[in-house]
Amino acid sequence: MSQDHSKNEFEKLSAGYLAGRISRRHFIGQAAKLGISAALLSRIVSFKASAAESNLLDSSPDYPNEAPITKERVEFLKTKPYKGQTINILVLKATVGDGLKYWVPKWEEETGGKVNVAEVPIDTLHQQIFSDLQTTHRYDAYMTGAWFYGDFFVPKEPYIIEVAPYLKDPKYPYWTPDDWIPAMRTLYSWQGKVYGVLFDGDCQILYYRRDVFDKPENQQKFKDKVGYDFPNPPKTTKQMYDVANFYTGWDWNGDGQNDWGIALHAKVNEQGFFHFLTLAAPYVCSPNNKYFWFNPETMKPLINSEGHQRALEDYVKYLACGPKEAISWTLGQGWNLFLAGQAVMEPTWGDLPTFAQDPKESKVRGKVGCTIIPGTTEAYDPIKGQWDKFDLNSCGNVNGGTWHCVISRFSKKKDPTYDFLAFMATKKNAIYNCTHGFTGVQPGMKFEYFPPVGTGKVEEWVEQGWDADEAKRYLDGYYQNLSLPVQESYLRIPGAAEYWHELDVRLSAVLAGQTQPKAALDDCSQSWERITERYGRDKQKKLYAESFA
Amino acid sequence: MDNLLWRNSKWASKLVAMVIVCLALCWVAIPFLWAIVNSIKSHSAIFRTGAFIPFLQFTPTLDPWKEVLGDPQTLNCLFSSTLVGVGTTVLVLLIGTPAAYSLARFEFKRMKSKDITLWFLTQRVLPPVVVLSPFYILLAELGLIDTWTGLILLYSTFNLAFCVVIMRDIFRDVSKEVEEAARMEGASLWQIFWMIALPLSLDGLIVTAFIVFAFCWNEALFASAVTSQHAATMPTLILASRSTRGVDFNSAAVNTILAIAPPVILSFFVQRYLARGLSFGAVKG
Amino acid sequence: MEVNEIVQSKAERGFKYALLAPAVIWIIGLTFFPILAAVRYSFANYVLGEGITAYVGLANYARVLTDGAFWYSIFITLIFVVVTVPIEVCVGFVLAWIITIGVPGSKVFRPILTAPLFTMEVAIGYLGVTLFTDQGGLYSSILAALGIHIDWLSTASGGLAAAMILDIWIWTPFVFLMSLATLAAIPKDIFDAAMLEASSHWQVFRHVAIPLAWPVLSIAILLRLLEGFKSFGLPYALTSGGPGTSTQLFSVMADLTTIQFTDFGRGSAMGIVYLIMVSIVITFFFKQMRKRMN
Repeated sequence: MSQDHSKNEFEKLSAGYLAGRISRRHFIGQAAKLGISAALLSRIVSFKASAAESNLLDSSPDYPNEAPITKERVEFLKTKPYKGQTINILVLKATVGDGLKYWVPKWEEETGGKVNVAEVPIDTLHQQIFSDLQTTHRYDAYMTGAWFYGDFFVPKEPYIIEVAPYLKDPKYPYWTPDDWIPAMRTLYSWQGKVYGVLFDGDCQILYYRRDVFDKPENQQKFKDKVGYDFPNPPKTTKQMYDVANFYTGWDWNGDGQNDWGIALHAKVNEQGFFHFLTLAAPYVCSPNNKYFWFNPETMKPLINSEGHQRALEDYVKYLACGPKEAISWTLGQGWNLFLAGQAVMEPTWGDLPTFAQDPKESKVRGKVGCTIIPGTTEAYDPIKGQWDKFDLNSCGNVNGGTWHCVISRFSKKKDPTYDFLAFMATKKNAIYNCTHGFTGVQPGMKFEYFPPVGTGKVEEWVEQGWDADEAKRYLDGYYQNLSLPVQESYLRIPGAAEYWHELDVRLSAVLAGQTQPKAALDDCSQSWERITERYGRDKQKKLYAESFA
Repeated sequence: MDNLLWRNSKWASKLVAMVIVCLALCWVAIPFLWAIVNSIKSHSAIFRTGAFIPFLQFTPTLDPWKEVLGDPQTLNCLFSSTLVGVGTTVLVLLIGTPAAYSLARFEFKRMKSKDITLWFLTQRVLPPVVVLSPFYILLAELGLIDTWTGLILLYSTFNLAFCVVIMRDIFRDVSKEVEEAARMEGASLWQIFWMIALPLSLDGLIVTAFIVFAFCWNEALFASAVTSQHAATMPTLILASRSTRGVDFNSAAVNTILAIAPPVILSFFVQRYLARGLSFGAVKG
Repeated sequence: MEVNEIVQSKAERGFKYALLAPAVIWIIGLTFFPILAAVRYSFANYVLGEGITAYVGLANYARVLTDGAFWYSIFITLIFVVVTVPIEVCVGFVLAWIITIGVPGSKVFRPILTAPLFTMEVAIGYLGVTLFTDQGGLYSSILAALGIHIDWLSTASGGLAAAMILDIWIWTPFVFLMSLATLAAIPKDIFDAAMLEASSHWQVFRHVAIPLAWPVLSIAILLRLLEGFKSFGLPYALTSGGPGTSTQLFSVMADLTTIQFTDFGRGSAMGIVYLIMVSIVITFFFKQMRKRMN
């Protein structure tokens, strides 16, 4: 009986792997658990590899915009396959929208098709997407933020289609989900199936002034004042606070003004709450617990657990190491403080080191260090209700928009639409996107990183004006974060924006001194309960479980 | 309204008056000047302390202007705004003016014309956001999403009230003797309306046109909800200043200046009429 | 009450209805179903992707009426309106008077003083961030030069004050123009006569201009109240209701609920409660005003 069972399991597993639904790593791992022989496994793996890549050329002189490219694709393009067809894509007016627009003429020239890009303000993107999906169906693809995913899967038949069938077809531009760092792949998938085509890959890591940290005088001063060796860079939350506090209130950059330990921004509706999510992750997520948002059994909010509370109390202390007005700052204002050289640390997105390279905008080119967000020595398990001790519990995150396109189920031009999206996802173009700051795209694929992880070349970055060492440090820190085994889960259930907003305003209230952490989080939990009730608890529970893959 | 009041006043009260006006002028001008300064700043200069005077305190750049004017969508939005504004104004005047005349000249059996006027006014009480979604669905059913026609339809509905309320009082001011004389000559009601009442109230028509145009020009909520590309208006461009990297204050400033320019320039020309007309909706209550 | 009445024959009855009908039909036709839909939503639970999942009777209304955040937003909006409208009216009227009496340069001053009326609230909101922020903001820097430091955007009172200042900047010209017009309509002789017995124009202002212009001023107050209660673009762009929800005016809250969170049920209930409240206020105000005029 069990042998039959294993056989069934294995068949399902192989089918999934060959169809591209399961990554090779997962397949090998699970198959090994079932006791499948290595010989058989390697045969299947190499079969799949060769099937997909036997016709893969490094590049084709006729079609320089795609690399690598399959022979079938070269043949296919010769027919100018999409001549006379126009696809309509809805994007947000932002750098990522500009990034997409950049590829339009190149794709049009190659395939004969036309792309019409409509740009809308970020505030209306969600409403535009779902109004269109529900009524007018005028767009073939939408650029979506990762947190919209829950809403796509509410109806019985999801609003968007999965890309697996296209991945198998060699006449489309070549890219593979297997290249993704697993943490990033999650945001493009739902229940193991891939729905999004590679574009952006956001996460937040800690950026700091390595030139200031490296100075022996500063290190000595720190040791004298605080009592232990300077952690360069800080690895625990306590260390981070001590460092931030140490660097607050005196002039360490010689500009005549007192400087700050940390740069943050916390204006409502300006993505300020991501800082909290990033910094709070290691207080709650650990090898023992992956749930940050809700209890998967009861769908009750976990946001007011002891771990979250302590995270918020510490967060308040961090804000005290920055200007008081930071609670009303927009994103750019927070970056400004660091780029002007007046703050020694900032946990934020890859836009910061990108801006740092521009001498017109920054004073810190070449001085930026990058590391993972500090971890904790004690993490709270909100399901069991207990604190667990660790030597060091570090938690990664994929916080941010991770903007990418998904294809509408109602599109009558799915093929050319997918073609365009995949075109932007080929290795060559993906690397272009993440080395060119104007796209706002961050690297989510392994090959975008430098060897030994990937095949990226530092020259490509230097060409764009990056300081070579800075590029290496940035990609190093970014990769480290995305590869951490413990990752903060990303909220992707319906109403994610509302849940986040309720948290956002309460964080802001705490920082403004209008309320206390515990009261604010309890209140937040109550409002989350009401949201859950409105959407339907059982449905939310189901979608919450599905959102983890 | 002039010289006697000014001439016979003590010099002290004249001085006070002048000071008040000068203060008011500075108060009004400063944000406009600041918008111009913002529009030629780089991102990091926007929030730099002490960066007020271009060239002296910061290096100005035309990049924000190039970026905004180089985007074909900017011109499209300016065009849409103008077209929708004009279209709405024409439609509103066409529908609202006759109604206003009717309310001014005639009495109705079941309701006082004053109450009917009040009903028109209450159309402006409901917060528009509450009816946004139903209106979206209505336009979608009619296939008018992201079209100029759809926006014009919408804006006409919202602004009809202004036209009716204002023009009613203007018509009430138009000399009845002229109309009665024409009646004696055997002119039909329609001829009186078309050839006498309307020409005599031209000022009011221009004023109403201007108010309706101004409201259409500045409307952001519905424009950004029911348009995505073809019929997008200037306010949507301004809203789009907020993006994934926070708010782009310098391009927002550019768009602000671009968006203010046409109505402000127009207002310089229509000043006289505008001032007179705005009060007519009020004086007769 | 004066009524302009031409003897109504059958043809005239037809005429008057023919003229009025298109406007009435237009409004009813295009607003009937949307308003009906809004009412319907207010009694239902709406979820994006599923539509109306259930009818919940008065639950949405109960939730709205017992929601502290809702009443707080009404309260904040009330403060906003109660402060801005009188200032706009006073300043606008005084400025109109000064122009009326013929201060030299009136022709140039008038268009400049009117210009703010034509700006977009969202645009001014963003501009306001760069005016009031401590990081290089123009107003903050001017105040700092005078030794004054105010936390504009990082406190509730500061944020509200900043929004009010900008609102006054935008809307004073509205009152200014209405006042100009009504002062222009008053016969010159009245002012001239009054001036013979007064020593300064301010006395004429107090004793003659204000009483005669009161009907218009009250309409200006009414219109400003109506629009002020719905103020959205400015507070949204300036503070987005923060810090916390302390500057969340009613329209910002309604927009968030209805558009961003697609909670049509609660959003519609909010809007209808608001509609009822404001309708009562303006009807009351209208009656008071009519009494005063008589």
